[in-house]
Amino acid sequence: MKKENKLLKILKGAGEYAFSISIFILVWHFYVRWNDVPEYILPSPDKVWVSFVDLFRTGTVWPHLWATTYEVVLGFIIGSLIGMALGYLFTKVEPVKTALMPYLIFLQTAPKIALVPLFVVWFGIGVVSKIILIITMVVFPVLSGMILGLESIPTDVRNLMKVLKATKWQVFSLVEIRYSLPSLFSSFKIGIVQAVIGAIVAEWMSGKQGLGYILTYASSTYEVSMLLAGIVLTIILGIVTYEIINIFENKALYWHESKE
Amino acid sequence: MESTNTVSIKHLDKIYSNLLKEDTVALKDINLEIKNGEFLSIIGPSGCGKSTLLKVIGGLEKPTRGEIEYLDKENRLGFVFQDSVLLPWKNVRENAEFPLVIQKKQTKENEERLDALLELAGLTEFKTALPRELSGGMKQRVSIVRALSYDAPLLLMDEPFGALDAITRDHMNEELLNIWTQTKKTIVFVTHSIGEAVFLADRVVVMSTRPGTIKEIVPIDLPRPRNSQTRNDPKFGEYTGYLRGIIG
Repeated sequence: MKKENKLLKILKGAGEYAFSISIFILVWHFYVRWNDVPEYILPSPDKVWVSFVDLFRTGTVWPHLWATTYEVVLGFIIGSLIGMALGYLFTKVEPVKTALMPYLIFLQTAPKIALVPLFVVWFGIGVVSKIILIITMVVFPVLSGMILGLESIPTDVRNLMKVLKATKWQVFSLVEIRYSLPSLFSSFKIGIVQAVIGAIVAEWMSGKQGLGYILTYASSTYEVSMLLAGIVLTIILGIVTYEIINIFENKALYWHESKE
Repeated sequence: MESTNTVSIKHLDKIYSNLLKEDTVALKDINLEIKNGEFLSIIGPSGCGKSTLLKVIGGLEKPTRGEIEYLDKENRLGFVFQDSVLLPWKNVRENAEFPLVIQKKQTKENEERLDALLELAGLTEFKTALPRELSGGMKQRVSIVRALSYDAPLLLMDEPFGALDAITRDHMNEELLNIWTQTKKTIVFVTHSIGEAVFLADRVVVMSTRPGTIKEIVPIDLPRPRNSQTRNDPKFGEYTGYLRGIIG
């Protein structure tokens, strides 16, 4: 019975989404039709839909979609690992924190997009400079999440581990990581959105692959329906990667109050 | 000369140094023999260092001066904290079993003893429940079973029932005595409740504040087994009255 309820809830949620989006598309459709908006400014939804389908039908989109997904996933994973390692190091070794934190704050507040030309000079127009940009965008939120998680561990849990004479590795693997998961997942969600933004922006600036390239190509050739189809595709990529993290979170945090 | 007491504390001082302020003397010249198998309560006003003393005995704080000797050479002990500190992602049995996992002692014998302890604490039906589904009293029961799971001879308890309501607290006290009788542990129990100290203990250590010293050790000569009737015993009232007088 519980399972049926859950399914019903999901269906209801999907229905609400579909309804809300249909209203938006209808407004768009009639706005374009009644005002005779030229196609090179705003094409009607059905034209965008045709472009969207065409991207897949002709197969042109696949290498681009693959390139962006690859950059996002790889950059996100490397960035998260670096963020977690740094966060752990910062809470354990105070001098490291004192020494490195100013640079990280600097890197975080500096508009990283401005660094892309520099990365291109250093690492070329290939995939490396893009992944490095994504890493710089993911590291800081994950680092903050890790520190917050480690600091949220109650003192008496640490005392308990001391009474039990647990090794450092046991404290890390059995307690610290688990306690950090709620704030880590919050930071992963910020990180994955940042990763998609980073990938698209880096692709605008260099190279001939990725969804970002499709956007600049469509824009420079005034193919607005293709441009909008590309935007929709990047939104879908963002939602899918975000939801994948959500699924992992629900699995990992079954015990958390927020999942009741 | 070696002592046969579970813990023997001699001339123990604990001083917290602070560069900016004067040093805080938390404990001063503490001498205490904890006998094998006894139930010892430590009581005193807040800030008298009773929790600090328990942490020093438990090895969580280092004494500034003096010495502590343990009968158990491996210095094994169980600690029950004010808050149950259960790991929220583990169910009741996994939480209770946690020390065995840490110490790699998941033998058949230990697992069976664990189940017997869970039974004794009335937790058998809740083995698969998560901590968030339990009441405060239940959580503290799990935490006590966890502290007993590896069969350490000494159990240290730091105001474990302080956060519970009075009725639950009375029940927990009776259950704790039951567990103590069956497991034959030495228990050191810190509390700020005079009634709780008298009800549970063989001896009550009264501490005074700034610097934390032992003011008096009062033997409680009430018959065992103790139960809800014990609290109506006139002698129970005499003891609580006397303790209230010296705590001041």
